[in-house]
Amino acid sequence: MVPISYYLFLAAALFCLGMFGVLVRRNALVVFMCVELMLNAANLTFLAFARMRGDSAGHVSAFFVIAVAAAEAAIGLAIVIAVFRSRGSVNIDEIKTMKH
Amino acid sequence: MALNDLFNSAPIAPALLTPSLWMIIALPLLGALVCGLFGRRLGRENVHLVACAAVAGSFVLSLLAFWATSSGAPSVPDTFGGFRTSHALWADMGTWFRAGEFRVNFGLLVDHLSGTLMLVITGVGLLIHLYSTSYMEHDDGYWRYFAYLNLFVAMMLTLVMADNLVLLFVGWEGVGMASYLLIGFWYTDPAKAWAGRKAFVANRMGDFGFLIATFLLVLVVGAFSRQSTPEDFRFVRTFRNGQSTETGRGDPSRFQAGLALRGPVTFQGLETLARALPEQQSNGAVTLTTPIAEGPLKGRTFGGVLTVALLLFLLGAAGKSAQLPLYVWLPDAMAGPTPVSALIHAATMVTAGVYLFARMSSLLVLSPVAMATVAIIGATTALLAAIIAFAQDDIKKVLAYSTVSQLGIMFMGLGTGIFWAAVLHLVTHAFFKACLFLGAGSVMHGNGDETDIKKLGGLRHEMRWTWVTFAIATLAITGIFPLSGFFSKDAILHGVHLNRIAGYEWVHSLLFPVGLVITACTAFYMSRLYLLTFEGKRSPEAKVAHAHESAWTMTLPLVLLAVCSVVASVYAFPVLKGRPEALMDNFLSSVFGPTRDIVRSAGTVILDDSLPKMTDYLLAWAVALVGGGAAAYLYLSFFPSRQGQPAQPFALQVRRVVQNKFYVDELYELVLLRPVKFLSFLLYRVVDSFLIDTVLVRGSAWVTVRFGSALRYLQSGDAQAYAAVMALALLGGVVYALFQVL
Repeated sequence: MVPISYYLFLAAALFCLGMFGVLVRRNALVVFMCVELMLNAANLTFLAFARMRGDSAGHVSAFFVIAVAAAEAAIGLAIVIAVFRSRGSVNIDEIKTMKH
Repeated sequence: MALNDLFNSAPIAPALLTPSLWMIIALPLLGALVCGLFGRRLGRENVHLVACAAVAGSFVLSLLAFWATSSGAPSVPDTFGGFRTSHALWADMGTWFRAGEFRVNFGLLVDHLSGTLMLVITGVGLLIHLYSTSYMEHDDGYWRYFAYLNLFVAMMLTLVMADNLVLLFVGWEGVGMASYLLIGFWYTDPAKAWAGRKAFVANRMGDFGFLIATFLLVLVVGAFSRQSTPEDFRFVRTFRNGQSTETGRGDPSRFQAGLALRGPVTFQGLETLARALPEQQSNGAVTLTTPIAEGPLKGRTFGGVLTVALLLFLLGAAGKSAQLPLYVWLPDAMAGPTPVSALIHAATMVTAGVYLFARMSSLLVLSPVAMATVAIIGATTALLAAIIAFAQDDIKKVLAYSTVSQLGIMFMGLGTGIFWAAVLHLVTHAFFKACLFLGAGSVMHGNGDETDIKKLGGLRHEMRWTWVTFAIATLAITGIFPLSGFFSKDAILHGVHLNRIAGYEWVHSLLFPVGLVITACTAFYMSRLYLLTFEGKRSPEAKVAHAHESAWTMTLPLVLLAVCSVVASVYAFPVLKGRPEALMDNFLSSVFGPTRDIVRSAGTVILDDSLPKMTDYLLAWAVALVGGGAAAYLYLSFFPSRQGQPAQPFALQVRRVVQNKFYVDELYELVLLRPVKFLSFLLYRVVDSFLIDTVLVRGSAWVTVRFGSALRYLQSGDAQAYAAVMALALLGGVVYALFQVL
């Protein structure tokens, strides 16, 4: 059996990749995809620990995360489309409305 | 004695006149207002009418008020529990302002001293107004000029009619302002505007001394009212034929009630204070050497504070009366129109200092130090100014220095306790110096505004009226026998010779010869002025070939003033039956009588009441003749015969130094102006430019801007930047956790 540390290292690598993407990419869609990547990294750890402990709490948590991620993707994509319609761009460099 | 009855009757009852005393001041003030506001629209004739009528009205009212004081009946109630001031009208208009315990009433007082000055101010002022209507004929600013002139008269009247020091100070400042406006009347000429400014600044310095002295007196009076005992008020004591008789006893509560009613700076209150202080009594009474028990002056003696206050008043008087430290403004002030010189610089304003000290005589005699200082300052100024006048070629500047010199003589009289003579000299000087100034104006008017006496000459035949009046006034100021200047000056010199200030006997032995030298100098430079202007041949450099005589409006004042300067000598004679003293002395005794009582009980000055003897007159006359004769010899035969020959280098050197007024202005520049300028430069560069502008104003803005621009990075609105911060924090948390675990 593969030891749990392998799964955790993979999850950490995925999380870092996702975070790197969130921090450096300019396209809002790609940023969303990277967020998904980070969520999946979290899911992977949940599942790995669940298998290790042999109970179902981790699985339930993973399902919650998938549900929240789906909702987030739906609303986020709606916002991105609305921004694209009003500004003609999804480049987050140009969207600095949090300043106000 | 029909004449006596006439003088002792009042055409308008004092009771009727007293409530209207304010009109004497209000009339010229109203004239100033009308001329100043509507003058341009009124036209020349109407402005002349308004201005002259205002002063004439004031003159008539002054005459009536003055007349009423002599009727015997009216006198000022003894508010302070001292003496009733006799032969005076007094109108108290109630509280002017009050702050805590300190209050000042708006009170007007007409006694023989202020009455005399009121007549001089309005009388000579009226003549000068009349003269000005002709002199300022061609000036565009005539309405402005007459407004200022009326304002000046109003302020001068406030000065002399005030019954307290604060109201006097209003007039004191007011005449300063009016003189500033009038000296700089032709303000488009920078030199003339500067002269006005110089006069203003020099006056301000003196006024500062005046103010501090007033505050000191307020404190002294306050301290006295708390510390005095009934013993102090034993002054209800009269001296008759050298015998002192006690007629009653005063009461400290009366004094305090008087203070509460009329304020601490009224002259009546100050006189009561002066009467109370010198008594050599026991029983805890307050005397000059008593220390003040409480307040800001705690520990100082009453006499010491009084001396300091009087010396500060001397500074104030020096500013206004152009005495030694502050006299430099007067000669420059000749830049103003000539009638202004006559009004301000001869007749009225510059004599304000003399008036002040005559008014404060009861306090002055308590301080031998102050008296000696006043006398010495006066003598030094008189001598210095007389020597400077030797070498001036500008007709008005000679007269200006002569004024400074004559004022110095008046101060000598004040400092040696012969107050009536100082006032008499003030009056006679007002007549003949105004006549001289107006004569100089007439000369300028007829000669194309030429002021250099070397370029005049021979005017005797061309300007007859001016010549006659100028000659009379010159003789009067020179001190030739039957004219007024001789007697008034001789009365002062007599006092200087014979009065003794306790502890300062050397002052008299020093000042009397100095006084004679001043007399000789006066005779010399006045004769020189007269000879170069009117005698001899007409100078080839003259601007116009033939001078013309001025209009009647100019010659009439000249004639009247010349007549006055002859007639006024009657005041120096003992003409009253059974009265050995001079007429002016007797006349002013209602004012200076209390001073005499104080002197007798204090023993600070030994007054000599003897009249000048024939030998005194002969001596003074001889001195004046020597001075005048020397000038006549030099300028009529010696210098003309040496025409074309080179002058001695030494003589040229001396003349240059004297002509430049001994470089006093330059000395002030070096000693006072340079350090002040350097200090202000330093303050400007270090404090203002660097500390305030750079560090405080721009510095605080710079710090805010920097701080803001640094904080700006925290709110970029960039979601990724925020996320980066979160990630870094997370990383930090992870690193911390790792360290904790490992």
